[in-house]
Amino acid sequence: MPVWQSIYEELKSDNFEIISVAQDTGGEAAAGSIFDDANVSYTSIIDVNHHISALYNLVNVPSGIWIDEEGKIVRLNEGTYAKTHFNGQFGTDDYVPIVRDWVAKGAESEYVWDREKVRSSIFQRTPDAERAQPAFRLGTYYFTADNDTKAEQYWTMAQELDPTSWNYLRQDLQYEEGGSAGPQWQARREQIESAGGVYYAPLEIDAVDADN
Amino acid sequence: MKNIKSIATLLGLMLISGLINAQSAIVLYNERVVEIEQTLPDATDLWVKPEDLTRVNDFVLKPEGACLDELCVPVLQDRDSAMFVTRQGQGWFNVTELADKLQQAHVTDYADGVWSFGVLPLERQSFFRGAVAPDFALPDRDGNIVRLSDFRGKKVLLLTWASW
Repeated sequence: MPVWQSIYEELKSDNFEIISVAQDTGGEAAAGSIFDDANVSYTSIIDVNHHISALYNLVNVPSGIWIDEEGKIVRLNEGTYAKTHFNGQFGTDDYVPIVRDWVAKGAESEYVWDREKVRSSIFQRTPDAERAQPAFRLGTYYFTADNDTKAEQYWTMAQELDPTSWNYLRQDLQYEEGGSAGPQWQARREQIESAGGVYYAPLEIDAVDADN
Repeated sequence: MKNIKSIATLLGLMLISGLINAQSAIVLYNERVVEIEQTLPDATDLWVKPEDLTRVNDFVLKPEGACLDELCVPVLQDRDSAMFVTRQGQGWFNVTELADKLQQAHVTDYADGVWSFGVLPLERQSFFRGAVAPDFALPDRDGNIVRLSDFRGKKVLLLTWASW
């Protein structure tokens, strides 16, 4: 997050805005201090209902979407990081350079996708998975009302309706296991990856190395 | 005689107020939590007064139907239908029927009368067809409503993350 703030300070003069949205049922208590510690000056939202993930068919965090001056999406559904973390265990140094390129060149940037590429990159949901969102919303309503039994009931329902959502699973594990990367998450990740699935859609940034 | 009448009135009032409690509902839609005082009892569907329809999802009941901006879903109002009924002169609109017609997902806790509705598919048609970014209205950390459409003319990097 401090890295995004420095990138924002570098690029904000160019008609560029960052909207950073925490997918956190715990609200300000869970996510607020992370924004504060980074002295964030870009637009900051704490989205307790995971509305943005529901709206843009995102299944994991962090995810990034590029939206141009006319409100058209020109890249989406990527596991985005400002840099590598923990000695390269996760994250990437390849993403920030392409953001710079886009902000400088706009539609001329080679990293901008055309409409067909964007459309085909939107994650597809089943009708059941579409019901996961109102189920999760119901769970969060009960969580806010301190009814943990019903919160768990509907959060579990959301995970069953949409087994492709890492967000619903990992948010819930925060309360069940005290962390979102414990044994259940590990088992699920291995299960999906051994079946040929991916935890994140891989970044498609072929040209970065050539540029550097 | 007067006493009997007032007892009857009192009983009637108690009955009505009992029904009012039994008929109340809470509707969740986007960031909204809408409390509805009175609904028409139904085991599976949510029936509300026309004015409550607008509080729930911004649809307005007009002579031509239930309308949101340019979209109008035709609704017969001079006779009962799956979408609209009249009881003792009061019209009732079927919110879940409208949702089903628009393929809007919903999940209900019937015991508590809490009805949760998903994103309206028609708000995402241009997302799937034309890669247009769906608009949203969410409060920022200071409580100001942030709309994506406020940033028209700027490039926006929309990032999601989480503390967990």
